[in-house]
This record gives sequence, C-alpha cells and structure tokens, in this order.
Amino acid sequence: MQKFVALLIIGLIIATGYTFVTYQYFFAGFTNLHNYSKTPAYVLKGSTVYTNGTVILQIARVDGPDTYGGFIVLLQLISQNGTIIYQWNAQQLGSIPQSHIHNEYPLHPVKSDKFALVVPLGQNASVLLQVPFKLKPGTYTLRAYDVDGQDSAYGISFSVTVQAQQS
Amino acid sequence: MALPIMRITLGWLYFSAMLRRVWNVPAKMNPASPLYVGGKLITFVPHSLFIGGILQYTLLHPVILFDFLVIWTVLEGVFGLFLMLGFMSRLSGLVIALLAWGIGLGAGWIGTTCLDEWQIAAVEGAAALVFVFAGSKWLSIDQLLIKKYPNGLKIGRWNIPLW
Repeated sequence: MQKFVALLIIGLIIATGYTFVTYQYFFAGFTNLHNYSKTPAYVLKGSTVYTNGTVILQIARVDGPDTYGGFIVLLQLISQNGTIIYQWNAQQLGSIPQSHIHNEYPLHPVKSDKFALVVPLGQNASVLLQVPFKLKPGTYTLRAYDVDGQDSAYGISFSVTVQAQQS
Repeated sequence: MALPIMRITLGWLYFSAMLRRVWNVPAKMNPASPLYVGGKLITFVPHSLFIGGILQYTLLHPVILFDFLVIWTVLEGVFGLFLMLGFMSRLSGLVIALLAWGIGLGAGWIGTTCLDEWQIAAVEGAAALVFVFAGSKWLSIDQLLIKKYPNGLKIGRWNIPLW
C-alpha cells in the first residue's frame, strides 16, 4: 500500500509537472503569453547576395498555422541607404522552377503555386534567384512580405542584412 | 463505477486515430500521397521540446519515418482498443499516457484557435495515467482477469499488475 501511494505521488508530480512545464515552454503562460500558431513568421538567416546579381534566399518558416501557407508575395533587395534595388513580385515568386528550390526536408516542400512562393511550416529551403544586373559591392537587405502584408511577426523580422560576395 | 465514462472515450481517441489512417483514408499512410501524416512531423520542428533532434533525424530518413508511423499507429490502435475494453488497463493507460505526452512534446505549441495540441496532450496524458493507478472494474475484461489472477501477471518472482 505504501509503495502504491509513493508511486501515485510520483505520477501526480509527473502529470502536473508536464502540464505546467509545457504550458510555460510552449506559450509562456505564466509570464508573457504567446501563441506561435496564429500568424506566419519567416527567418531569412543564411541568405547570400553575390555581386553578379545571384541571390540565394534561405527561408525557414518558423511560426504560423500548420495546415496552410505561408505565402511570400514580395521580396525586396534593398541597398544600405534604403533604396529598393530590385524586387520580385508575386507573379515572379509564383513561377520559380522547382529545380531552383532546394528543400531541407523531402516532405512539405517549398514551391511556387502561380500566386506566391509557398513556404510550409517547419520547412527550410534555399531558393536561387537572379537580379538582372550586376550589384555594387556593399551591404544589402533582403526583405520578404507575407500575403497578409506583414514583414515581421512575434518580434521576428522577415529580413536579413548581408555583405555582397564576389562571384 | 464512473471510470468507464472516461476510459471508453479516451480509448476511442486513440483507436479512431488508427482507423482514420487505415480505414477512412489509407492515403494518410502512403508516403507518396500529399495526405501522408509523416509531413505533420515537419510542423512540430520549430518549437518542439526535447525531441527536436529526433524529429529532424526521422524527417531526413524517410524509411525510419515510415516505420515509426507504423509502430505509432499500431500502438494507438491496439492500446486504444484495450483501454476501451478494459483489458490490461494499467499497462494500456501507461502506453497511452506516453503516446499523449510524447506527441505533446512535438505538437504542443500548435493550435490556431485555442492551445489545442497542448490541451490534448496534457489532459489525455493525465487521464491515461489515472488508469495506471485505478485499473478497471465495472464494464471491463480486467474484472474477470482479477478474479482468476488477483496479483497480476507473474514472471519469476515478480508480480506485474497489468490489470
């Protein structure tokens, strides 16, 4: 009987511990409540810009609904002084050949769907793009816009600033 | 007396998960189909707890992913049914608790309306653990087993209370 009660108390601690620990870890419910499933967020860390105009967009979808989207409809290449050097619109982003997209995971691949570049939750892909002219050496920012018009969510900016590399 | 109210519903949640993949929509278990449930594991990756490495490894090895899904589905179906029938309820409760909590470590952060997956994992895990300690009496196969083998399954000098 004593052994049973001891095990029962361990069970109580495990069940309650799981509930409270995961509540805090997943949603910060005891401090600063958030829900990362609400709206898409993208991380562009690892993207590369080359002076010959080649751009490798490294895009990871880290937040948002699991069953739908997200949709990138605008990608801008911005110079250090804020000028938009070049931008890819929805039509361009929606017609990238699959051979120019390299997905980290085989399932749920990033792909163009005529209307946008679709980036499924959890996927991480590199996308080969080309600016139709040469770029001056210097610092550039790549900025992506979700179809809802946002370029940031949960404090994550959908942008990255990189030094152009010699090609 | 009251426990079957929870036991049967809880068992069905797992047994029906197997049914959906095997009977309703077999494409869910077809790696070539866009409905393949393996893809769900990718959506867990961004904010999973403890199991991120396992998820990534599994996703990069499709054969292991498929085997994993088959094993998982069999466990859900078998122990979900056992729980509904009240057969080896203590063992079944433990298996279901581990399945609930395990998937919660991956999916727990997902839920567009409420904190859906976390709520499922937390309440199913706790509910299943109740049966590890409570066992089954009324409306169960275990009540017959208990009459015959009151000390559980005997292996060597160990009595293992499976029911």
